[in-house]
Amino acid sequence: MPDTPLTGTSLPLQDRSPSQPVRFRGGGFTVKGHRWAALLAFVVLIAVWESTNRFGLVSELFLPPPSAVASALAAMAQDGSLWQHLKASLMRIGVGWVMGTVAGMAVGFAMGIGSVARAVGVPLVSAFFPIPKIALLPLFILWFGIGEPSKFATIGFGVFFPTVIATYSAIDSVPRNLIRMAQSFGLPWASILRKIVLPGALPGILAGFRITASIALILVVAAEMIGAEYGIGAFVLTAGNLMLTDQLLAGVLVLSLLGLTIGTVLSILERRLLKWR
Amino acid sequence: MTVVRWGRRAVLGVMGAAALALAGTPAAEAQGLEKTSIGVLALASSGPIFIAKSKGYFEKEGLDVDLKMFTSAQQVPVAVASGDVDFGVTGLTAGFYNLASKGAVTMIAAQSRDEPGFQLSAYVATKAAHDAGLTKPADLKGKRIAITTVGSTFHYMVGLLGQKHGFTVKDVTMVAMQDVPKMVAAFKGGQVDAVIAPVTVARQLAAEGSGTILGWVGDETPWQLGALFTSPKTVAQRRPLAEKFVSAYLTGLAEYHAAFNAKDASGAVVKGPGYDELLAIIAEATKQKPEVVAAGLPYVEPKGKLLVDDIVNQVKFWQSEGQVDKALDAKSVMDLTFVK
Repeated sequence: MPDTPLTGTSLPLQDRSPSQPVRFRGGGFTVKGHRWAALLAFVVLIAVWESTNRFGLVSELFLPPPSAVASALAAMAQDGSLWQHLKASLMRIGVGWVMGTVAGMAVGFAMGIGSVARAVGVPLVSAFFPIPKIALLPLFILWFGIGEPSKFATIGFGVFFPTVIATYSAIDSVPRNLIRMAQSFGLPWASILRKIVLPGALPGILAGFRITASIALILVVAAEMIGAEYGIGAFVLTAGNLMLTDQLLAGVLVLSLLGLTIGTVLSILERRLLKWR
Repeated sequence: MTVVRWGRRAVLGVMGAAALALAGTPAAEAQGLEKTSIGVLALASSGPIFIAKSKGYFEKEGLDVDLKMFTSAQQVPVAVASGDVDFGVTGLTAGFYNLASKGAVTMIAAQSRDEPGFQLSAYVATKAAHDAGLTKPADLKGKRIAITTVGSTFHYMVGLLGQKHGFTVKDVTMVAMQDVPKMVAAFKGGQVDAVIAPVTVARQLAAEGSGTILGWVGDETPWQLGALFTSPKTVAQRRPLAEKFVSAYLTGLAEYHAAFNAKDASGAVVKGPGYDELLAIIAEATKQKPEVVAAGLPYVEPKGKLLVDDIVNQVKFWQSEGQVDKALDAKSVMDLTFVK
């Protein structure tokens, strides 16, 4: 039907022959794969950005062109400082995130399963979660010094609370009837936990990982405010202080590429771990 | 009920009239004055600007100057570069020279200097480091020193100290803590051997016994701490405005110098003419107690002349540190035609 063009005087639909097949209209906003669309959008964006500078619409100081950012990045890669910065930051993000996640999941599980732990934990989490970690930096320096521990602590604290919330609400959303059925079949407690609660809560926990991984990336900049010589965050801060805007954007680009990489790794992990769905 | 309503209307009426009156007065007063703006920090080093504004020297030159307060020295040249303010007056950082190398800012007169006898910034050693033999500024070679940021005035002060005592910044470990509170936290936690701290912080550390003042930057290495600057565009297109601005600024500067920088025969700083009045103006503008302001009043050269050799040294220092473009010609960052 959609192929027949309306020629001449267009007839109202109901006047057409009733035997015509009806097109399926309920497609909704079906998601289709458009691999090239995202790529094209990036290409167009970068082209527009570059041309604003080439035609002198924007000063290079206010918005350095992509070519300047790329050459700043290339210079960093060439003299080896990029790897030095990346290594330092990845170590801090890795250790801090693992510490925060392990502790957060342990507490989250306790709160999801034990009612006493929940009664104690929920108000505590509500009270401590909104504290801006950056405001605590001077205290962290006194407690943990200016070496690596204070940086791990900054990232770890930031990751801990969202993990607790994600874990215990994921456990909360495991279908109760499944647990009740297992209980009535006399399954041992550990078995219920391993075979029902853990797999049921996993999607929620993994979604939490996505958020906490981004939080860790944001906090690495704050953590590297504490006397860090190397690190992507320290590099970005220094570039900002020195008003070297091309280097600033190069550092930001590295951070967002890191975010993209971590997101991809988590997607693969999700696909693997949640195959049972 | 009617009474209440009448009352409310009357109140609203009075409020409306007051608002009109408030909105009307400055506009009427400022008629015929050329509008301009300056970015300043709420510090005593901006004193000459506060004096010129409060005593009407800008108005005498036909200018209506809006003072915009900023919280860090890095922000002011950025605001001048972006055109948010016409002028700026703060300490000189590597960031300033990077903006200057891109043709965004240029110095037109001096602000404060570190000068012998004026206590602005101190070298402070922790108790442990002092007990271990860190007793004079020259001993800082090989030590861990907390600074605010890479490219800050503190960074340059360490470099200057090295130039005097024959070491380079590579011989010390500088730990960038981003701001003064974190610097103090690292100091009190014993994470560094020393800090270069502003006078109020240094005195507090010494008073509570956590540190010992080794000396003052002004006595050790005098240098050009800050400058009045604008954009080259303003100089090229609105030169008369810039000249009038500098003229009023220099009047404030001279008064400031006479009141706060006078010395007696023995070389001690004494109160000059108008001391109390000017101190009150600065205290009000910086929202600090007069006695706090009085403890940290920097030296200014009464004619607003820049220490040209020191500016050249600053540019060379940042270039050798790799923080400012090597292609920048040091002489190009200042315009010496405004101050005679």
